[in-house]
Amino acid sequence: MNNGNRVDERSESCSLCSKAAVARLTDPKRRLCADHFIRDCEERVRNTIVTEGMISGSDRIAVGLSGGKDSTALLMILSRILASGGDDASSDTGARVIDTIRPAADLVAITIDEGIAGYREETIEAAAALAGRFGIPQYIISFRELFGSDLDSLLKGREEEACTVCGVLRRRALLEGARRAGATKIATGHNLDDEAQSVLMNLLRGDLPRLVMDTASGYPDCFIPRIKPLLPLSEKEIVIYLLVQGAFTDLPECPYAHTALRGEVREMLSCLELQYPGTQQRLIAARDDVREIIGTGEPGMRGDGAMNRCRHCGEICSGEICAVCRVLE
Amino acid sequence: MMLYDPDHYGMQVILPDKSRHTLPPDPLDIHEILLAFGCNPTTVIVIRNGTVVPEDFIARGDDEIRIVSVSHGG
Repeated sequence: MNNGNRVDERSESCSLCSKAAVARLTDPKRRLCADHFIRDCEERVRNTIVTEGMISGSDRIAVGLSGGKDSTALLMILSRILASGGDDASSDTGARVIDTIRPAADLVAITIDEGIAGYREETIEAAAALAGRFGIPQYIISFRELFGSDLDSLLKGREEEACTVCGVLRRRALLEGARRAGATKIATGHNLDDEAQSVLMNLLRGDLPRLVMDTASGYPDCFIPRIKPLLPLSEKEIVIYLLVQGAFTDLPECPYAHTALRGEVREMLSCLELQYPGTQQRLIAARDDVREIIGTGEPGMRGDGAMNRCRHCGEICSGEICAVCRVLE
Repeated sequence: MMLYDPDHYGMQVILPDKSRHTLPPDPLDIHEILLAFGCNPTTVIVIRNGTVVPEDFIARGDDEIRIVSVSHGG
């Protein structure tokens, strides 16, 4: 820090109005006040939904609602997009999206209780409050009910596998919740940072099938398509989106989080993003290019177009035994 | 980095770990403050006197700069 340098006076206004800016964005470079920032975020999500064809008018969307920041923002944004109707004149693009997904698409929240003592209780409470605030039906699915044991018990003696085990079981629990809710799509709060981290992690593990796997398409009666509407938003943008609306709650961190490779990848990517802005977006774009060149894989799809099913539980899987049955063995 | 006698008038910087530091009141680019304290600007939010601000804003006088980490596991 150089205290000898004079720091020039600078404008602190929004690029679009005279209010004070809360965020600086790039590509294109702009500073936005709270109102314009909220609108900007929601429009980028709307554009992604339309461009990717994520939601149709007859969809019932199961939102994975943990109560954390990403799923909170997801529920808020989807609620607004679906509720805003044709009178939302914020942009041409916004109106186009609303036309596409109105009038029948509706939301239901799915909350997974993994059974992590001292952590999940508070986030489940936050999730229930949010679902109630938006009048969205909520289904709570617990690991104990579904798998016969909570995560804390399942991890005894193998804590280093926490995120892998939890991730596998949570995906199954979310699918089960979506089925119970009669959902046609599952929406998760994965953001730009999460997605870029996943791309790099798959590369570091040498897991090409998972790198190119596309879970956005479905398979009748077997597999509910997953959508990630928050992909255009960074983790930082999501926190600002919530903070400026008074909707950010500093919830406890998962006690198992420190065991994850993801933490190291996150650190590495954030350093690269600082030095080379746009790194994360380029990483995701490269993954998408690879998908286009070699084609995507769908979970459980055999070469002849038939589906593999787990010998134990009958769920779709890529081998003989699904990941859930393997981690529960 | 030059820290300041906390008994004197100056900026208050509160880091994600809740520790407090006092800096001289001279105008400073918040981005520089973040880097000086080892905070990656892509992973934190800056709250100046209770309001969220971009990190290219200036802090001065007795401003309170609260730095909030955006990353949470789980």
